[in-house]
Amino acid sequence: MATLELVHVVKKFGDFTAINDVSLQVDEGQFVTLLGPSGCGKSTLLNMISGLEDVTAGEILMNGKVVNQLGPYERDVAMVFQNYALYPHMSVAENIGFSMKLRKRPKKEIKERVQSVANMLELEHLLHRLPRELSGGQQQRVAIGRAVIREPSIFLFDEPFSNLDAALRIKTRGEIKELHQRLGVTSIFVTHDQEEALSLSDDIAVLSAGKLEQHGTPEEIYSRPASKYVARFIGSPQMDIFAGNFVMKDNSLWYQIGEANMPLPIDFIAPPQQVDMGIRPEYVLLGTKGFPASVRLVQPVGPFTYVTVDWQGGSVTARVNGVSHLKVKEALHVEFNPEGLIFFDRASEKRLDI
Amino acid sequence: MIPYGRSLKRFLIRLGLATFALLALSPVLWGVVTSLYPLSSLTSRPPDLNPANLTIENYILVFDTSRGLFSGLVNSFIIAFFTSAVGLVVGSAAAYALARLNIPGRNQILLMILATQMFPGIVIAIPLFLVMSHLDLVDTHFGLIMVYLSFILPIVIWILKGFFESVPMELERAAAVDGATPLQTFQFVVLPISLPPLFATGVFAFIESWNEFFFAIILTRINVKTAPIAIAEFSGQYTTLYGQMLASAVLASIPVVVLAIIFRRFILEGFVEGAIKA
Repeated sequence: MATLELVHVVKKFGDFTAINDVSLQVDEGQFVTLLGPSGCGKSTLLNMISGLEDVTAGEILMNGKVVNQLGPYERDVAMVFQNYALYPHMSVAENIGFSMKLRKRPKKEIKERVQSVANMLELEHLLHRLPRELSGGQQQRVAIGRAVIREPSIFLFDEPFSNLDAALRIKTRGEIKELHQRLGVTSIFVTHDQEEALSLSDDIAVLSAGKLEQHGTPEEIYSRPASKYVARFIGSPQMDIFAGNFVMKDNSLWYQIGEANMPLPIDFIAPPQQVDMGIRPEYVLLGTKGFPASVRLVQPVGPFTYVTVDWQGGSVTARVNGVSHLKVKEALHVEFNPEGLIFFDRASEKRLDI
Repeated sequence: MIPYGRSLKRFLIRLGLATFALLALSPVLWGVVTSLYPLSSLTSRPPDLNPANLTIENYILVFDTSRGLFSGLVNSFIIAFFTSAVGLVVGSAAAYALARLNIPGRNQILLMILATQMFPGIVIAIPLFLVMSHLDLVDTHFGLIMVYLSFILPIVIWILKGFFESVPMELERAAAVDGATPLQTFQFVVLPISLPPLFATGVFAFIESWNEFFFAIILTRINVKTAPIAIAEFSGQYTTLYGQMLASAVLASIPVVVLAIIFRRFILEGFVEGAIKA
């Protein structure tokens, strides 16, 4: 187990800055996800932690020691690759035991350790197979086994589920979470899937174009996104964001969207700059109170139904419990729970604490 | 049931292929036939191919006479073996470096290697002979091996570079994270995966130098005559011993044919398959 610290880390490929001044603190035993769309630099960052990519500027510390100059074989990290990268000419047992063979461990010890890792991952019956004779899910487990046998200080996962089908993905996700609970090893997990990040992590670091947008617990990231970017990236369906204005009317303050005036809490103080307002579906209420709207789209997802309504020239999505019997074009009223309102500075796109 | 149009198409394709194979093989076939009949049967008109005349006399004679076929085969083997062995060792190292390492001027180096292939042999024959004779390397195994390497190495490097580039980078990264040094990565991961193409390239290099005639005739006199030269010498100023010449040619082809058969098997083995899930 180890702590990991990135201090003003920069990575450049020629003129292109892939990682731009990222600082991040990971505590011992934490499960941290690097989340962002493809091309945001999350895999590059992971490769720098593993030692596969060198660092242009800044420092990477493990257990308080700078490891910038250490090659991957000198850092105590194990990595699960997106494409598994199993050695095609080695059996499952040889794949899992390869790191021990490199460390010149006795054959007997290797065999025992491979056996126990295989038991843990339910691979016992496949030990003699070659990777190409395995299914995707089995290959995935071999890749995990190859990392687990190392008993590393840090686990690194590079989008390990992206080649699995949906059902297997959820199952493996649970397995990884259990594995982390059992072994308690510091883990860094890269993904572009916000749901994966929310369900697995102690902490999430959201990256955008090589910059760290926000670092916090899944709860913080979800309910107090640092910027519009994070707000839109996390949560499905997306948060709706409106460009309105504050207006004074009848001696009280309102937030005006189109022709609708949204009431604000009594103690609310309007900030001087222009402000956008966002709201997540669970804070949007449909019924007989509020502003008139009409149903555009009804999407049942089992326990909930997401209902998108046309409203003020745009649309807003509400989460309704259970099955909704609303029909398309049906007229209704929409109301916003003031607790769910989130305001962003229109110019900087940062969230405002109001 | 196969539709009529498709079976006709298949028939035509097969007919075409069979015709091509026959055309390509007919000289070989005629060579084998020639080697198995006495000269008199072949020079009569029409050739007298009565099976009663079949003989292995030519095959015995090529070794009986002081024609140097046997020593030619030995020389060819020594030269082809060392050319392909050294070519593989040096070539694979160079190819791996050029495929994977960030070498300054990498593309220029590759182009220079390719450029050496652009001179016709005849252009360099005379300067090469002068250089070799100044170095006292004419009519030595070493000299001929060096010359063969000069044109086989570039091909080996280019073929293997292409292969090494196709080995998924993630495999090497996985090995590095597993704790392998770059050398161990090469030894335990890259090399075993690369055996089939290495073997295929080696066979190619072997066949190239085994069959080489032009430089061999310029750079050998007595000691290091290779098999192709020995075969050519059955054609004298006044007579040509066709039967013996072709018997030698058949014998000299055997190792190449055997290698080609093994080579084909190796190439068909998809080793890298299954390494990476696409």
